[in-house]
Amino acid sequence: MADYDRGDRFRPGGGGGGGGGGYSKKRRYQRDDDDYDRRGGFKNRRIDSTPPHQRVRRQLLTIAENPIRAWHEEVASIANLFTDNWDDELLRRNFVDLVMQLSLEQPLKTPFLAAVVLVANTNQPEVVDMLLAKLTAGIEAKMAEGEWRDVKLYLKLLACLSSALEGDGIFPVLEELFNRAAELQTASSDDTIGTELVKIILLTLPYIMVTDRTKWAPKAAALMDNTEVLASEPHALQTLIEPYHTEATEENPNPSASLTKLLQTQLQAETVAGWPLSFLPEPWKFPVEELEQQTKLDNASKHALPTITIPSNLPAGPRPLFPDVYFSVYSDQEVESVPSESTAASSLIRDALTDTIGILHFNRNVTARHLVDLDCYFAPRTFAARATPFDRLRDIEPPKSTWKPEDVAVDAVFSQLFQLPTPEHKLVYYHAVLTEACKLAPAAIAPSLGRAIRYLYRNIVRLDLELGNRFLDWFAHHLSNFGFTWKWTEWVDDVALTDLHPQKAFIKGAIDKEIRLSFAQRIKNTLPEPYKNLIDAEMEEEVPEFKFKSDDTPFAAEGREIAILLRKKAADDEIQPIIERIHALALDNNLDPLVASTDVFVTSVLHVGSKSLSHVLAAIERTKDRLTDAGAASDAARSQIISAVMTFWSAHPGVALCIIEKLLNYSILVPSAVINWALVTEAGATRGAALSRAHVYELVFTTVIKVTNRVRQVVRRSGTADDAMVDDADAKDAEVAAMRDLFRAMEDALVSWAEGSKDELVEMEIDDGEGRSEREALIRRWGQQWLRVFRRRAAIEEAFLVEAAKERRMLAEAEAEAGKEVANGS
Amino acid sequence: MAARTTVDRLDKPSAYFNSRKKRGGHHHRDRRDEDEDMGRQPEQPAEEDPLRDATTLYVGNLSFYTTEEQVYELFTKCGEIKRLIMGLDRFNKTPCGFCFVEYYTHQDALDCMKYIGGTKLDERIIRTDLDPGFEEGRQYGRGKSGGQVRDEYREDFDEGRGGLGRAIQSEQRLKEVERRDLESDIGRLR
Repeated sequence: MADYDRGDRFRPGGGGGGGGGGYSKKRRYQRDDDDYDRRGGFKNRRIDSTPPHQRVRRQLLTIAENPIRAWHEEVASIANLFTDNWDDELLRRNFVDLVMQLSLEQPLKTPFLAAVVLVANTNQPEVVDMLLAKLTAGIEAKMAEGEWRDVKLYLKLLACLSSALEGDGIFPVLEELFNRAAELQTASSDDTIGTELVKIILLTLPYIMVTDRTKWAPKAAALMDNTEVLASEPHALQTLIEPYHTEATEENPNPSASLTKLLQTQLQAETVAGWPLSFLPEPWKFPVEELEQQTKLDNASKHALPTITIPSNLPAGPRPLFPDVYFSVYSDQEVESVPSESTAASSLIRDALTDTIGILHFNRNVTARHLVDLDCYFAPRTFAARATPFDRLRDIEPPKSTWKPEDVAVDAVFSQLFQLPTPEHKLVYYHAVLTEACKLAPAAIAPSLGRAIRYLYRNIVRLDLELGNRFLDWFAHHLSNFGFTWKWTEWVDDVALTDLHPQKAFIKGAIDKEIRLSFAQRIKNTLPEPYKNLIDAEMEEEVPEFKFKSDDTPFAAEGREIAILLRKKAADDEIQPIIERIHALALDNNLDPLVASTDVFVTSVLHVGSKSLSHVLAAIERTKDRLTDAGAASDAARSQIISAVMTFWSAHPGVALCIIEKLLNYSILVPSAVINWALVTEAGATRGAALSRAHVYELVFTTVIKVTNRVRQVVRRSGTADDAMVDDADAKDAEVAAMRDLFRAMEDALVSWAEGSKDELVEMEIDDGEGRSEREALIRRWGQQWLRVFRRRAAIEEAFLVEAAKERRMLAEAEAEAGKEVANGS
Repeated sequence: MAARTTVDRLDKPSAYFNSRKKRGGHHHRDRRDEDEDMGRQPEQPAEEDPLRDATTLYVGNLSFYTTEEQVYELFTKCGEIKRLIMGLDRFNKTPCGFCFVEYYTHQDALDCMKYIGGTKLDERIIRTDLDPGFEEGRQYGRGKSGGQVRDEYREDFDEGRGGLGRAIQSEQRLKEVERRDLESDIGRLR
């Protein structure tokens, strides 16, 4: 526990305090009120001196967090504190705002907030009207902004309040939303908003049903009949965002379903069963001994729902809409430790958790706290006891649940980390959430993570390559936070696999990433014997050997001379004669003179800058002009710059990648040169093996992302600025064209690897007879995996361009319309 | 929407920064670790907030052995790094346990506060703080003997920060992390 105990030495970043994080003196000061609470009795008068609006706020913020406290008691006490102080205007105003804000920021608490409102309704019915007015206005505003998650969360709050609504409750709103979805889907086959609306409808429905199953059942059944057709409509890009890769020759036996489609099926099952939904909390239910309170609740006044007008124009919103594909790392177990795909619980619990994860990115400690405490927010007995070891789940008798809360939590984080095409937040956020969860409840979370890792490792052969690399990156980063310990012994047999095998490639990639975050000797000591050979002597050296030190290397003398001059910061014209000497020597030896001189020069620069990244950056800065000329001289020379960097730093590819990124920034290299080097030069020279190396993938991926980010930036700018519009339009077209060329070049290079038609592959049969077909199959598989990743990237960028064009057109039309009105008016 | 969130944000400047600002002091960072214990909630940023567009972070509690490459590897997870300046001992120009990381965008710096501050690098929990920007001279420790002030009077023994004297060799560095490793059994994957 040492690390955790040390938490008090560490103040959570930013000093804003981190609710749920470690705590500091400062935090203890803030907690004074609670301390008085705990002392109880004679200090009671001190509590009363806290203004009611502060007490209500504090209690609402922490609602349902305490697993000991009965829901109905907590709900009634907050509601009564509120209505007892009804005359406090500040409290009245704050209450409604806070309930709405909480429903957007901490959605797991929504049913409990609704219960407080329902109990308050028995004493001060006016509060419901106040809330409904703001809530309906809020829903309209969020729809106009395209903030679909917020729309969903407000509707969820509204749904939980159904028992206080007159007539058909919120069904008219859902029906209206459905009509709009149907219109959108009919109008365009690649519509995404309609699908999103259907998803929202289906996710809202269960929260209505638990307020009164019999009353709402007919309405729900009718709505479900309608949504059926739309819900099973697959998204245009659905196959591209499948988490698993299927060989072209085989059918995907088990294509992952979109959340919407799953929900439709799950809820249909619920309809048949009479909507048990036994996992959803019903905190508005009072136990039999509280009959009076329950009767008051049942007879409380009903309110008319103000009309919600759906804006005529529904934007896609700030985040591109892709279907959520259901992903689980616990799907193949003998005992069901997470709800199976056939249950509504799997979708609804997942949805509530992923909302929480997505929203609370600004405090990962609280995100982790909610995940660790997730059983507080669902009906009792939904889950097995916390930290029940997986092996013990088998002993649980049938009516009792085998769902492990920590598995459900971990699964939800992985579903986000592994979301395609791109998760909502930076990947490192999800790493951080898992780290904090593991720190909060190590005994519960760590074993679940271990099983997740085993699942992913087992399935890495078919896991999408982009996801495989996200797994790799997370794995190494996670271990770096926990002393680099992993049970490597269980994969020990795989060390003997060929480097081309995805599992071996994972092991090598993970060790490299671990070393990057630490150092070779340290990592070597964490590994069992057979793995130690994977860390060779060169990797243990922090500074690579300068190859020109040895006279056996061609151009050794020239290399050394250049290095001395560079170190002396000599003028460029002192270097030129040596370069010319290399040219002459190269010609005598039938070598490409430009390639030879580039290699010697770049290697010398790297050597001079080998002490640290700042050293090499300074060295590059000083020799920028010569490097730029070298890069412009010929394709071969440009490629040689990259080869020189990758060779010099071959034992520490992280450093090489960093340098290449800087060379791209200096425009000494262009993205297409990097891609060409990786997919043609290096892949060719290694007969395809380069495709199996994690750092080569990383190099290409980050380069492509650099290009696509740039295009997005330029396209967005050209949509807004009007003065520099013309220049921007040209620049934009050029950037877009360059990006398309890049994707085309990748496609050409990768297709031949994927189809096995690459010359280097065909030639291979000469060397090894038996192993050949296996090797060829592995290389082909890598080619297909790569192809899939970058075809998806290309498609995503094209979809972005289509959306951006649509937006520009709408903007232009709106402006023209406004212009006409001005003209008519004057 | 109310500006105040129902959960504290991790991407706000620390009490240290705000307290320095109020006293009108320069933004020298070495004493932050002591100052931080002030039981004050940071004030809301004043009219002209020097951190409004901050792209730089002060990073503290690094081991003296942590390299630029390690910092790059971790901090690039929040965005491309524009500039990295290692904090150095004023006299012998060796790393003394802090650095400045500059990103291209303010958002990347905020994300770094949220996702990297308070996690481990080189097996130490590091702290990050938004910073108005690097100025020449700030890369040096301000302690009497050249390092950071906190390492002058620190009573606990910290091998990663020169606890054994300056001429520590890599073997001892290794011993240090492994010792720490044995102590902490938290969150082990098994």
